Amino acid sequence: MFHWLEKNPFFFAVGVFVVIAYAGIVEILPDFAERARPVEGRKPYTVLQLAGRDVYIKDSCNACHSQLIRPFKSETDRYGMYSLSGEFAYDRPFLWGSKRTGPDLMRVGNYRTTDWHENHMLDPTSIVPGSIMPAYKHMFNNVADIETAYAEAYTVKKVFNVPYDQPDMPKLGTWDEAQKAVLEEAKPIVEAMKSQEVKEAYARGEIKEIVAIIAYLNSLK
Amino acid sequence: MNWLSDNVNLLSLIGAAAIIIITGFVAGKYIKQMKTDKSTGELTGDDWDGIGEYKNPLPMGWAIMFLLTTIWAIWYFLAGYPLNAYSQIGEYNEEVQAYNDRFESKWSNADKETLKQMGKGVFFVQCAPCHGITGDGINGKAQDLTAWATEDFIVHTIVNGTKGSNYPLGEMPAGLLDEESAKAVAAYMVEKISKTGQSKNPDLVATGEALWATCSACHGEDGKGMEGSAPDLTTYGHAEFVVEVLNRGKVGVIGNMPAFNDGRLTGIQKQAVGEYILSLTE
Repeated sequence: MFHWLEKNPFFFAVGVFVVIAYAGIVEILPDFAERARPVEGRKPYTVLQLAGRDVYIKDSCNACHSQLIRPFKSETDRYGMYSLSGEFAYDRPFLWGSKRTGPDLMRVGNYRTTDWHENHMLDPTSIVPGSIMPAYKHMFNNVADIETAYAEAYTVKKVFNVPYDQPDMPKLGTWDEAQKAVLEEAKPIVEAMKSQEVKEAYARGEIKEIVAIIAYLNSLK
Repeated sequence: MNWLSDNVNLLSLIGAAAIIIITGFVAGKYIKQMKTDKSTGELTGDDWDGIGEYKNPLPMGWAIMFLLTTIWAIWYFLAGYPLNAYSQIGEYNEEVQAYNDRFESKWSNADKETLKQMGKGVFFVQCAPCHGITGDGINGKAQDLTAWATEDFIVHTIVNGTKGSNYPLGEMPAGLLDEESAKAVAAYMVEKISKTGQSKNPDLVATGEALWATCSACHGEDGKGMEGSAPDLTTYGHAEFVVEVLNRGKVGVIGNMPAFNDGRLTGIQKQAVGEYILSLTE
């Protein structure tokens, strides 16, 4: 029946291509069309949150913490709604992680708060007995790199059309405007914290890494 | 020979013996055939270094299967996979729905002791990270739940105020009453409003009733909170109040408690957490 195909490698190759291309269309195109679009109401990160995200990456939080909740009841009971691919639309790169030495952090903003994170970063075992997470005291000393975060946001806005500065979306504006916005956003977090050093630094106009990473963690919902 | 009494073991042994015997016969047949057989039949004419090929027609069974598989593959390509693909999330939704229904019907009439045990489990996962495994608030890092809703706690709340759970009437300022009056109001509240039990100062109940006007401005004459404007104090010290706090979250003096209204806890589980927290004060 297919004897002539075996004798004509060119047409055989065309046939193989058609079959594989069809599978590709069925598998991949629906994701481009709909499922991978940003979920309704999803907003890109603000500059302060991006700075926190950079701290998260720099300190390799993703080596021990995943950010992907699978659709299993045991996971949704503990971490909340399972993840949708559209929720990662503004993550560059995504931080799914591959190993849970610690718990998943995809929606940590729903159930942990600024004061908890402050205690926890300073001394994890003081609130989670038996925790093997190291303390991250240096976050209270290091100053967050707002400039890089702004550059990142500006780049994705220009190159990938990430919807900054659009109605109901985070404002980016000029570098001066962004700096003011960052201070504004950091204010309630600094106020909710106990550390005097962080508060004094804020009064000088400095944002410590701990403030940025808390802003980022609180935004994970 | 105890293990022979097991049907599966016995069947496996018989099967193994049959396989060995059949293998022997079949191998013997083909070895004999190789020795004696002479090749006959029409050749295709192809010749590969002296090796030829017979012109054998397709076996009928094989041809039918091939055709059916081809038809099935076309259906699967065009309709089967694209339209009826397996959905992990669909299966998740069905499973969770079935589980929740079973949970609901199994525990809807659970008694207090059962709820307390259930609440303990939920507490360890969802509440203990801030309030501590024993519920003591880990040295002031969160509310000490072992003291919650006791009479002394009410006095403390009245004197120091509370930021509340985001009710329309806002936070309760500190210093509405001095300590002595607060004690009286707490006595009145324990006995008449929330009805959690006997007051330590039963002789102060009447004084507390007279002072209740300060509270009723927001919480209402009957303590019901004027239809959601302020907390309903008749549920204070009961599981319903804990459910309310879980649903609304709390901006406290110590820190923020997030609301647990994203579907992680069912109504029964919230009730259970309430019962467990109440048991902590005992």
